[in-house]
Amino acid sequence: MLNYFELLWQFITTDFKLRYKNSYLGIIWIVLKPLAMFSIIYVIWSNIFKMGPEYKMGLLLGIIMMNFFSEAVMMGMDALMSKAGIILKIKFPREVVIYSGVTIALIDFVFNMIVFGIFCIFTPVTTTFLGVLLFLMAILSIFILTLGLSLFSSIIFIKLRDIHNLVEVALQLVFWATPIYYTLTMMPENLQKIIKLNPLTLIVTYARKGLITGNTVRTEDFIQLGVVFLICCLVLLLGNIFFKKKVSKIAEYF
Amino acid sequence: MEEKQPIIHIKNIRKSFFLPSEKHNTLVEFLHNPLRLFKPAGEQYSVLKDIDLDIYPGEFVGIMGRNGSGKSTLLKIMAGIYEPTSGSVKVNGKLVPFLELGVGFNPELTARENVYLNGVILGMKKNALKEKYAEIVEFAELEKFMEVPLKNFSSGMQVRLAFSIAIMADADVYLLDEVLAVGDVAFQEKCFNVFRKYKAEGKTVVLVTHAPASVKDFCDRAVFIKDGLIQPANSVDEVIQAYING
Repeated sequence: MLNYFELLWQFITTDFKLRYKNSYLGIIWIVLKPLAMFSIIYVIWSNIFKMGPEYKMGLLLGIIMMNFFSEAVMMGMDALMSKAGIILKIKFPREVVIYSGVTIALIDFVFNMIVFGIFCIFTPVTTTFLGVLLFLMAILSIFILTLGLSLFSSIIFIKLRDIHNLVEVALQLVFWATPIYYTLTMMPENLQKIIKLNPLTLIVTYARKGLITGNTVRTEDFIQLGVVFLICCLVLLLGNIFFKKKVSKIAEYF
Repeated sequence: MEEKQPIIHIKNIRKSFFLPSEKHNTLVEFLHNPLRLFKPAGEQYSVLKDIDLDIYPGEFVGIMGRNGSGKSTLLKIMAGIYEPTSGSVKVNGKLVPFLELGVGFNPELTARENVYLNGVILGMKKNALKEKYAEIVEFAELEKFMEVPLKNFSSGMQVRLAFSIAIMADADVYLLDEVLAVGDVAFQEKCFNVFRKYKAEGKTVVLVTHAPASVKDFCDRAVFIKDGLIQPANSVDEVIQAYING
């Protein structure tokens, strides 16, 4: 059991090290890159489109969360395939590679949030203890959801390589089906209903509410997000069952 | 007399792989018969047909056979990487497979980083690795090169490093797949010494090899696989003879 976590940690640190190997700035890029990217977005939306502080910070937070979601989905899907060399040679709990892939996306997200914190110095946000709790619940929902999805997609990807392209397109669709650049109220009524079906809509909405307008958080928000959270847990549970059933045969399909 | 419990118990194992007979990659072919996407043409090919093998604690068993005879498949089934199509495998103890040396080695990482990576993948504890690190480096004779990326190592040096980590893995059963064939004479001699040590310690080893000499030197028992079956033989010499005759 101890080795399980050591293996997980080893995979995470190795993949992290490899990403910044051979670059002069090394790990600094993990903060530098989002800092540069968000600065561009921030400057454009404050000077050219002249949007208010709430919109700008909501936009940044939305983009950070969607990046987390996309990265976790992609890393999770590729996890088994990218460790094929090891999987073919030794037995270990296969789900470790999925957990490590999605956790790497989570670590990236944490660094992006540090950058978000830097922007908060220039454009202050209002948050409360309850607000932070709501935000953490939203993030945990994404983490659990992407873990669950990856348990399905990583297995399917090995047998059906087409899914990689398909998921990339689907992520683009999900991005635009989530109110990141626009607000729900800007959309026609029947389209709003569809957008509300997207669980990420609620997750992003409540994360923003918690972290940017924290003083408006009420108990109902926790209940509504709690429903989404439970759905994410259900996806993880089903993913686990599917994975356990299929994983013992995957070695032959690489 | 009390019957000894086998450490690896293999019963009626059959392993088939799907052997496609024709490819249908284009859209036109697909439209011609769309259902084939779900049921591609081909047949099941049985690499191993019916294998029974009990390996007892302390035994040194050699597996011989021609290329493609299913030796490695059998080893992978013992290691739990493949599932048998039918039949059962039971391993009563900790098993470490060396189907390849240096599993997980990454050329971009330094030798030191690879020691920890490979060691943890082989099931060793990080703390145990830290304690044995100096010993590993010394055995590999690579004291000066531990901070060098592995991509700058010669293949011989990589194998030495990998082997030195591998022998630190503590297990009841070791599965070795032709790993002896590499390294210079002096290093090979070192490896043989390790095998003698395993033998003296009463560890169980399953060795797949093409070298009759190492089978003769180390194995208490050998099996010859041909046509997916273990060929009957009474002694190691008979197995070697059968292997040489094909």
